[in-house]
Amino acid sequence: MTIFIRFIIISTALMFFTFFYLYINDDKYYPGADFTTSNMPDFEIKDLYSERVFSVKDLDGSYLINVWASWCITCRIEHSFLAKLESNNIPIIGLNYKDEKDDAINWITKFGDPYKYIIHDYKGELALDLGVTGAPETFLLNDGKIIVHYRGEVNDMIWNDVFKPVIMKENIFNAN
Amino acid sequence: MLIKIFLFFSIIFSSFTVGESLYEFDSIEDEKRFYTLIKEIRCPKCTSGSLASSNAPVSEDIKSKIIQLIKEGKSDKEIKEFLSDRFGNQVLYNPGLSKDTYFLWFAPGLFLMLILLFFFFRKRT
Repeated sequence: MTIFIRFIIISTALMFFTFFYLYINDDKYYPGADFTTSNMPDFEIKDLYSERVFSVKDLDGSYLINVWASWCITCRIEHSFLAKLESNNIPIIGLNYKDEKDDAINWITKFGDPYKYIIHDYKGELALDLGVTGAPETFLLNDGKIIVHYRGEVNDMIWNDVFKPVIMKENIFNAN
Repeated sequence: MLIKIFLFFSIIFSSFTVGESLYEFDSIEDEKRFYTLIKEIRCPKCTSGSLASSNAPVSEDIKSKIIQLIKEGKSDKEIKEFLSDRFGNQVLYNPGLSKDTYFLWFAPGLFLMLILLFFFFRKRT
């Protein structure tokens, strides 16, 4: 009888340890990052500067989509890193999130423009479809599919831990 | 004491003034569905609070989206799927059965069985 009880106690403890061991050692888990592949939702949104309308058809190839706003403090901190990415020939599309047009343009004039183009999601409709909860957030797109979604500021550490392994694996942006 | 009474009544009546006509619905059933749904869906920006408890901008957006989806005639299941596709499974307080949630669903029953077995065998000795 005592053997049975011991067996139960030990196996319960073992179950817990295995569970937490698997949980901690989950390579795919990174706080704020989502690696599930999903289709880029359909959208039709105007350019920040002009009346040109962008849609999902304009997103052929590999891009970063960066969600930003002039009211977002962290975006200002992130901005210099985006400029660095742009100088490494990584195409970034800006998704201006719930921002006044004038504020956004002033902000970009002041801090520089690392974006290939900026789409102006004033109502946050595309952002809601993308599962954006705030700014900044960054998506990695490959052939119309979202392969990485990161919630928060992208910096050297996040770039190397979250984005770079996927970029190397998928061999995009000439894997730099 | 007067201040307390004043505060008491202002709190009670403020809920009437704020609570009414904040959202518009086609029918009372839709309204009921909406208020049930927002209690079952977690605000993605909050540590653990439902949409009903949250005023975060993203929660307000999701609430308007839910109303739009209800008006389009989507079922509760479709609305939940729509949101969990975008914000992840963690937005649902009651996540569906999948290989990621087996442990979550079956562990309590398993532990209960283990404990029952334990007492069952202990009494006999």
